[in-house]
Amino acid sequence: MTVQLQPPFRYVGHKRRVREDRRFVAGGGHFAADLVLAGMLHCAPVQSEHPAARIVGIDASAALALPGVHAVLTGAQLAAASEPLMNGANTPLVVRYPLAVGQVRYAGEWVAMVVAESRALAEDARELVRVEYEQLPFVTDGEAAIATDAPLVHPPHGSNVLLDRRFVWGPVAERFAAAPRKLAYRVRWARSSTVPLETFAVTAQWDASQDVLDVWASIQMPKFPDQIARSLRLPGNAVRVHYDVDVGGSYGVKRGIKHAVLVGHLARVLGRPVRLVEDRLENMTGGDMQGPERVFDVELAYDDDGRVHAMKMRALDNVGAYAGRSPFQLGKPIGAIVGPYAIEAVEYHALAVASNKTPQEAVRGFGQAPTNYALETGIDQVAAALGLDRLEVRRRNFIRADQFPYLIPSGTTYDSGNYHGLLEKTVAVADLFAERDALRAQGLLAGVGIAACLEPSGGNSSFEPLLNPANRTTTWMESCRLHVDGLGGITAAMHTTTSGQAHETLVSVAVAEVLEIPPERIRVIRPDSLASLPSNSPVGSRMAIMLGGAAVRAAQKLRAQLLAIAAHDLGVSPLELRYSEGDVHAADGRKLTWQELVVIAHREYFRLPLGMEPGLSASSIYMVPTGGALPKDDKVQMYPCHSFEFHYILVAMDRVLCRPQIRRYIIGHDCGQVISPDVVKGMTLGGIAHGIGAALLEEFSIDAQTGQPTAASFMDYLLPSAHEVPHVEIVHQTTPSPLTVFGQKGSGESGYLGSPAAIAGAINDALAPHGVRVDQLPMRPALLSDLLEGTHT
Amino acid sequence: MKPAPFEYIRAESVLQAQEWLAADPEARVIAGGQTLMPMLAMRLVRPTRVIDIAGIAGLDEIAVTAELVTFGAMVRQVTVERSAAVAQALPLLAKAIRYVGHPPTRRRGTIGGSVANADPAAEIALVAVTLGAEVLTTADGFSARDFFLAPMTTALPAGAMVTGLRFPRVTAARRGTGFAEVAMRQGDYAMAAAACELVLGAGGEVASLRIGIGGATPVPVLLDLAEPTREAIAAALAPLEMMHDPNAGAGYRRRAALALAMQALDEAQREVMA
Repeated sequence: MTVQLQPPFRYVGHKRRVREDRRFVAGGGHFAADLVLAGMLHCAPVQSEHPAARIVGIDASAALALPGVHAVLTGAQLAAASEPLMNGANTPLVVRYPLAVGQVRYAGEWVAMVVAESRALAEDARELVRVEYEQLPFVTDGEAAIATDAPLVHPPHGSNVLLDRRFVWGPVAERFAAAPRKLAYRVRWARSSTVPLETFAVTAQWDASQDVLDVWASIQMPKFPDQIARSLRLPGNAVRVHYDVDVGGSYGVKRGIKHAVLVGHLARVLGRPVRLVEDRLENMTGGDMQGPERVFDVELAYDDDGRVHAMKMRALDNVGAYAGRSPFQLGKPIGAIVGPYAIEAVEYHALAVASNKTPQEAVRGFGQAPTNYALETGIDQVAAALGLDRLEVRRRNFIRADQFPYLIPSGTTYDSGNYHGLLEKTVAVADLFAERDALRAQGLLAGVGIAACLEPSGGNSSFEPLLNPANRTTTWMESCRLHVDGLGGITAAMHTTTSGQAHETLVSVAVAEVLEIPPERIRVIRPDSLASLPSNSPVGSRMAIMLGGAAVRAAQKLRAQLLAIAAHDLGVSPLELRYSEGDVHAADGRKLTWQELVVIAHREYFRLPLGMEPGLSASSIYMVPTGGALPKDDKVQMYPCHSFEFHYILVAMDRVLCRPQIRRYIIGHDCGQVISPDVVKGMTLGGIAHGIGAALLEEFSIDAQTGQPTAASFMDYLLPSAHEVPHVEIVHQTTPSPLTVFGQKGSGESGYLGSPAAIAGAINDALAPHGVRVDQLPMRPALLSDLLEGTHT
Repeated sequence: MKPAPFEYIRAESVLQAQEWLAADPEARVIAGGQTLMPMLAMRLVRPTRVIDIAGIAGLDEIAVTAELVTFGAMVRQVTVERSAAVAQALPLLAKAIRYVGHPPTRRRGTIGGSVANADPAAEIALVAVTLGAEVLTTADGFSARDFFLAPMTTALPAGAMVTGLRFPRVTAARRGTGFAEVAMRQGDYAMAAAACELVLGAGGEVASLRIGIGGATPVPVLLDLAEPTREAIAAALAPLEMMHDPNAGAGYRRRAALALAMQALDEAQREVMA
């Protein structure tokens, strides 16, 4: 059980400069592509031009004849020398290698890798690689892919269904039978993603004298070194991943395992360092970085007061050509399947379907944002059906503050919350309904959008054994190690990469709080994987909780060691001592300063307690607070902590042009005890921008006739720019989690989890007086205008 | 995204550039490079030679006389945006230029490059057609209406290059202009755009009304208008072919063109009355 530190805090929650900002703003970051090694070779992939085809033959002779070309690696060659990539789903016949073997399964899939003295030369050479294909039938639509006569993406698997699980939690049939009212609806979440500024980049070097593969990669990937080692048939301690590489954006997608296995293999066989830096086209078509693409069919059973008693949800996710971990994105939302509402019974049908599209990868929220969009659409529809105020329907369905800890039907206990409190605080900022009506009086279409949702945080992997019983992994730790050097300086080590979440700030503040020493005095490092304790990387909105927890635990151990040294030296019990800002004071006025304690620990062994090891160091390998029980009766405790966000926005648009403009964006946010206010604010603002993209602009569209991607660059894949992101008014509430060291919860997905739902709700409110609604994202101007005109087909 | 190999040469004069162009049908001119560079990087174009005209003396000048405003092909869009002379002499162009890309692209992008590229969404081409500008080339001069043939296709003869753009200057005291467009994002390619110039005579009668449509149609179009009414504009739009893409179909573009034309006209009317 975690002993919680109580406010007032010395550093936690105080506005301080984010430690990383200076280095990134001043151009001092050190990214994977900044690394230049002597003799380094460069790669360019040969990509499939067909969505499905048999590879008849690959003729690389002309490419290999070009001076400066070192290799053209094919899928068959790589498969012979490596193990398939990890497959999270229980589909052993869905086999995936970094390069296509025998058959291509999506347009853009990497078929061969050209290695040359320069990237430009590699691109010249790849044009000379002749791949002979025999085209096969393909399917790109998720619903079409489950038809019995659909072309099979993986014929040996015998079906395009990769995951098909039905859960019934609670008395669903009874609640539906008893409910006086029911409604059913369908919503579609288009395939979008996080699109980092930095594409995926990796460099590998094989040290033949030590039999070690060094890897520098732009990653946010759990178990990355293990996966490389397993795939390349190396011992775990023969892969050294350098975690001190800065990562230029990720929010889920920087998995890069296929890239790293490829480059690792090439570095080994060529005996030269090899680098692969995707260009934008490769990243968007063959980088395997696209997010969920879902069709939700939902039924709600509710009463005349607008209380929702039960829900049936089918979520069909088109995960693309391979499985990987993407089917699990249907599992994570189970931990907050009822959102902030006291829905008593739920039936959930999770269906992950393969198609001839780019494979799906993890995206911020790991499937939660689409699910929230589906749920919030239903709450709005209940209000509309009853003619009730949408705020009032939410008030009536919210779990009350006095009900926590609150067990939801699917087995997760919500730690804490005050949803009514934050709603009232947020709507008190402005009367957006009055502002809406004023805009309508000017002849504009205007609507208010509302979204209430949770951010499950402190990520573990409980969805893995829940969806795939063959997988019994429940351990999901994070670690921190502290070392005080002989001059008294403190160095904290974290053991994973960091992709913009300000983990150095987090660790320094957490350690500083316990040791009562300014954060600026604490250096935070990221050693390589061979010098690291176990970690699971910054996924699942977990690091404030997990890395923060590990840092506090380690600091508490260090503080206890300092007290033990002082107690021995002063000849009193540790209980009679008071620790203050690094110094230890005895009741009689004697004290030992930080520097004196450091000298004792490092140099004066004769003053150390009997049996104590010299030096000052401590570490913690911290497990997710709620532990790691296996699922029981199809239920499991998913993430431990649940942040809450309440979006309240105003959108206006011209009746014909229909380009939505966000006039007001107010968000109430409660992530428990905030550790670094600027970091939380940045997460929320960035998350909202991300959600604006998903709601209005972004789609990895595909031509259904040809199977070709039609949004493969920033020309067609439209990210919101600064112009499209409005000023955001943030309302804070602090409801501490009882489970964490400071009462903190996660915030890495804040904003994004509810903004698409809020924007969609606002647009539908704007359309409602005209008798039309839209239930698909992104909501493009022409779609809205055509619906209003009655010409949408 | 590395271009296929090409030879880069920097012309000292228009004559020299013209000679090089004439000698090599696979050569391409580069001005600001805001379109050509990405196309090169994606290997969508594979010229043998890229002839840089940025160093040609005099090609980056704006000349304003009583009757004409002449832009050299290398005049940067940002120069137009910041020119007090342009704001005074060609207020419609001054309004439209702010819709061209973003500040960083306008710093590199040029008048001549935009005209030669003939993107149907280009605002400079729309204003040129609306105001009856002349495209200056090393071959003939072309009226802007005749220069743009289809998306990314112009009447420029092989071996010739665009050297400038010349606008007639309206000096009437009572003139109003308006510009409006809709794009997926600010600064993005227009799905439809409208430009309007309204000139009143001494007695307040309409001396000249020009409304041009861009973005929606394959090339910018000057509407044939008898009177400044919604009905007249709708009638003028009716026979025009509208483009369609995954973002917006022809129906949307037609409605948007009408709505934007009305916005631009309204802006011009308010301005002329002020």
